[in-house]
Amino acid sequence: MKKWYWLLAVLAVLALALAACGGQQQAAEQATEAAQQEQGAAAEVDCKSPDTFCVGLVTDVGEIDDKSFNQSAWEGVQKALEEGVADKIDYIETKDAKDYEANIQLFAEQGYDVIVTVGFALGEATRAMADRYPDIMFIGVDQFQADAKPNVAGLIFHEDQAGFLAGALAGMMTETNKVAAVLGTDLVPPVVAFGTGYENGAKYVNPDVEVLMTYHPGGLDVAFTDPAWGAATAKQAMDQGADVIFAAGGKTGNGGLIEVAGRAKAGERVYCIGVDTDQWYTVPEARPCLITSAMKLITDGVFDLIKMAKEGNFPSGNYFGDVGLAPFHDFEDQVPQEVKDKLDEIRQGLMDGTIDTGWNPGG
Amino acid sequence: MNPWRTLWHYNRGKVLAAAALVVFVVWAYTRDPQIVEAVLASSLRLSIPLILGALCGLIGERSGVINIGIEGQMLLAAFVAFLVNVYTGNLLLATLSGMLVGAVLGFFLAFMSVTLRIDQIIGGTVINMLAFGLTGYFYQVGLVTKGKFAPIPIPGLADIPILGAMFFRNPPLTYLTLLLIFVVQFWLFYTPWGLRTRAVGEHPRAADTVGIDVYKMRYLNVTLAGSLAGLAGAYLTLEAVGSFERAMTNGQGFVALAVMIFGRWNPILAWGAALLFGFATALQTQLQFMNAAQIPASLLWLKQIPHQFIGMLPYLLTIIVLAGVGGRTRPPAAVGQPYVKE
Repeated sequence: MKKWYWLLAVLAVLALALAACGGQQQAAEQATEAAQQEQGAAAEVDCKSPDTFCVGLVTDVGEIDDKSFNQSAWEGVQKALEEGVADKIDYIETKDAKDYEANIQLFAEQGYDVIVTVGFALGEATRAMADRYPDIMFIGVDQFQADAKPNVAGLIFHEDQAGFLAGALAGMMTETNKVAAVLGTDLVPPVVAFGTGYENGAKYVNPDVEVLMTYHPGGLDVAFTDPAWGAATAKQAMDQGADVIFAAGGKTGNGGLIEVAGRAKAGERVYCIGVDTDQWYTVPEARPCLITSAMKLITDGVFDLIKMAKEGNFPSGNYFGDVGLAPFHDFEDQVPQEVKDKLDEIRQGLMDGTIDTGWNPGG
Repeated sequence: MNPWRTLWHYNRGKVLAAAALVVFVVWAYTRDPQIVEAVLASSLRLSIPLILGALCGLIGERSGVINIGIEGQMLLAAFVAFLVNVYTGNLLLATLSGMLVGAVLGFFLAFMSVTLRIDQIIGGTVINMLAFGLTGYFYQVGLVTKGKFAPIPIPGLADIPILGAMFFRNPPLTYLTLLLIFVVQFWLFYTPWGLRTRAVGEHPRAADTVGIDVYKMRYLNVTLAGSLAGLAGAYLTLEAVGSFERAMTNGQGFVALAVMIFGRWNPILAWGAALLFGFATALQTQLQFMNAAQIPASLLWLKQIPHQFIGMLPYLLTIIVLAGVGGRTRPPAAVGQPYVKE
């Protein structure tokens, strides 16, 4: 009997260890990797020298090739290198939320000129490190700056405009005059911006359209990781005749996209619209229905900010990146030319301010 | 006593409430059939993992073992079923492997609580942590599945108003689950095995005296029940979603326990409770879908209360039921107590 207890204790400890830190091992690997990179840098480009321009990127918890935020931002940094704006670039993958500051510091100590931090969650760490290193310029992707710091630019987006374009497309493509939106929680303002823009966009092109819109009922901890709810909700909307579904809510939305794809595969005429990045690549299961995605152009935004930093006109406070629709991919032929023209016209209207999305963050 | 008589005797309130709900549904159907069918189909769909989890919980407790590791069993089974689907594309094989994982974890729980006699709550917690740790560690972004179970409408039956859309246009695992509810009901109350199971959960000493092997009954029941939790996990990745995400069970394994208690450790009543939970979620979605003009004036107040409150309703009811309103709720007498043979 005794030896069984022993086995159980080992298992319990293993369970705890795995649960608590599903990435500690990689963190160690990453540390050595970073050290190697440091040595390499010393040999090639000395970031501490005033003649060199180095850009470092710190990801949120996740991989650099996550086909989402991290990857898009990294592509912007890579573009800076290709275009000769930056002399040296590098990234650190954050494995644990505790390490945000430490990872930023790794770059700061090496004399990097610009540090890009990706994600809302790094906002506090970025601002804290900006105080400590006033000579380094920080670009915070998706980090709203309530008050401006001279060396921090928050790259944020008009989600309402992206949603408006998606809604306009939905409003023109629907045959049942019913479109739907399956959204993450209304506790997150950008999600509400997407939703409001979508509804008003659909109604702008098609006053008769009915927009079925719903937010996840749970809190922040579950609202974006509940694909089962997203799928069930998308089905509920389709059962009532909705034929274009906009899914904006992380994994929750992805569940909705896959559900619509199942209907499309079975031969129904239904479309789905993704969010944030071109989900043609992030959720391949959704391809049978994925007509486009309401994108935030993170890559271009990051590149523009790096360029401005180099040229000495770095904007502090909030900087709005562009938004737009992803390519139609396989649906290129199914979207009529007049729809494409109308979308261009609306895009123009949104840019010059003649079209209002109806989203008012203040009230 | 005849379990159906017992059911009516102790649950008049619930049965009457269910009847009232049916009347309401039929009335609503005359106004807008499409919406009613959509909401009911959604309710059933959302109730499937809950009732499977509850069945797992109640078989365990009926034989005297508390299982709070259902969440972990579901999650790990969902993950393994997903992996099998990714690499083989064989949905049947994936379902079976999910059930196997659930059963193995069930066996592990039985081992901890029957043989080692450690605290059963701690045993269940170990399973939950193990599942969260393993799935979080081994899950890789970018795995793409080869499809999921598609609905199979049953010819003829699928065209019945209301019931057709709700019950007869579903994917296979849903049919299997509906079948299992009645199988477990029959098995618990109409077979010698079921009688022994309940005896072991109520008074193991007495059961032992008449020659029932208490340990064997508990091992077998908890292991077999585990395969139902595994089926719930497989349902999530193979039928409900078609993909896997970290922590995608989102506490449904725990809600299943509430469903089990709400259903007084009775499979059919628990199914009613699971449907109520599913209905609350579907209803609050629907209330957000509809604009004020579509809702009859007498029900407009539903739209005005924050939608989260409607989602909360089943939990509130569970607390009320637990507090003893409408008859005392009594778990099996020997639940949670390890049995020591003399």
